[in-house]
Amino acid sequence: MSAPQAQPLVVIDSVVKRYGAETVLDRVSLNVGAGQVMVVIGPSGSGKSTLLRCLAGLEPIQKGRILVEDVVVSKGTEEAGPPPDAAAAGRLRHEVGMVFQSFNLFPHLTVMDNITLAPRRVRGMGKDEAEALAVELLRRVGLEDKRGVHPARLSGGQQQRAAIARALAMRPRIMLFDEVTSALDPELVGEVLKTMRELAEQGMTMLVVTHEMGFARDVADNVVFMDRGAIVERAPPDRIFSEPAEARTRAFLERLLEREGGNRRVR
Amino acid sequence: MGDLQFGQIIGYWPDLVDGILVTIKLSAVSVSLGLVLGLALALARYSGIPWLNWPAYAFIEFFRTTPPLVQIIWLYYGLPALVGGDLNAFWSAAVALGLNIAAFFAEIFRAGIAGIDRTQWQAARVLGLNLGDTLRFVILPQALRNVLPPTGTTVIYLVKGTALATAIGTPELLRVGQLISLETFRPVETLTIVAIAYFVLTYPIALAFQALERRFAVSRT
Repeated sequence: MSAPQAQPLVVIDSVVKRYGAETVLDRVSLNVGAGQVMVVIGPSGSGKSTLLRCLAGLEPIQKGRILVEDVVVSKGTEEAGPPPDAAAAGRLRHEVGMVFQSFNLFPHLTVMDNITLAPRRVRGMGKDEAEALAVELLRRVGLEDKRGVHPARLSGGQQQRAAIARALAMRPRIMLFDEVTSALDPELVGEVLKTMRELAEQGMTMLVVTHEMGFARDVADNVVFMDRGAIVERAPPDRIFSEPAEARTRAFLERLLEREGGNRRVR
Repeated sequence: MGDLQFGQIIGYWPDLVDGILVTIKLSAVSVSLGLVLGLALALARYSGIPWLNWPAYAFIEFFRTTPPLVQIIWLYYGLPALVGGDLNAFWSAAVALGLNIAAFFAEIFRAGIAGIDRTQWQAARVLGLNLGDTLRFVILPQALRNVLPPTGTTVIYLVKGTALATAIGTPELLRVGQLISLETFRPVETLTIVAIAYFVLTYPIALAFQALERRFAVSRT
């Protein structure tokens, strides 16, 4: 266990999440400090995507609490006491941006309108200001020439970068990435990871669920290994990849590296 | 064929035009009522909130499964008998047909909304959009494209369905046709002309919906 950080941006405190009788998250606790990049790895069904979805407010939790900037944004439905203040929780929710595996751009809107919709409707930004912001963000993700295009005209990598720009337009304090390269053709993965690297370099707090171990090794401050709804191990990437403390972590990484090695030979 | 005489019927054109105008007004009122109420019912059903869902469900099934002719007669004769006051023939028919068509629109719209991927709701949610904005800017514009074809069919069905208002004496197109055939003893010719008039009214609606479909299809690429 690392020493408690001064004022973590996000506090996940003993969160329990169940679907019916199945426990998907079992007393998960995790702090993410401002400016940190935390990568969550683990086999499918380990609960890592569910963790992000709970943090984004897409799933109710049964026990525990989730705090962003010391404000409770989510509280277990089985916990005693009053529910979190909805207005405050809603405001803090806007500080959490999320990017999905399947991009989820709005297909009927242009790239520009995808990006400006939330700043205009939620933040009350004027059209000109929102569009100037969108242009700046599109430049950052390398899509400045695509502003008038509908998502169907973009490649998967371009769609995902547009989705990142859309999330950034709300000026979030933390960005959640849920297997954002898993649906992409291999040759398009690099451009999305590059955008994420740049974001990390600019100091964005990030919680990243991914199978891209190269990204985890290079960019993460900490890597969390989850299995069967629980956090098994948390360590800096150089340690977790070279000398994992837990047998389950080691087994998972060995399987993964074997497969990656196989892929490399095929290519 | 030689026995059919259309010339005499054509002479009644001012009456036919009056009938057509009433049919147009009747259609416009009931389609407008049906669209607004249908969307509200669809959202109530889709919400899954019991106290919204159940009344909407009961309304839809009641108006879908009973004959529109009976609904018109209920409203015209039954409502005044029950609660007093009365609606004239035009408004009785317009409201009854509007309520009836709302039930059909509601099911079309509900299917259209349900057809939008859940991930679109989630994307809107994580961007902080409220329910109203999510519907207005994200869900309904996409659902619109999917519901255009069945909505067009239902509107055409309704325009012809306004002929049921004849039963309570609303002076719409079919009623005018019936009066003309009583005077001329030429029901086949009269009703043929009436049918052509319905075609002239409804075919542009079909074309308009086809044009809308094309427009919304193009804007996606």
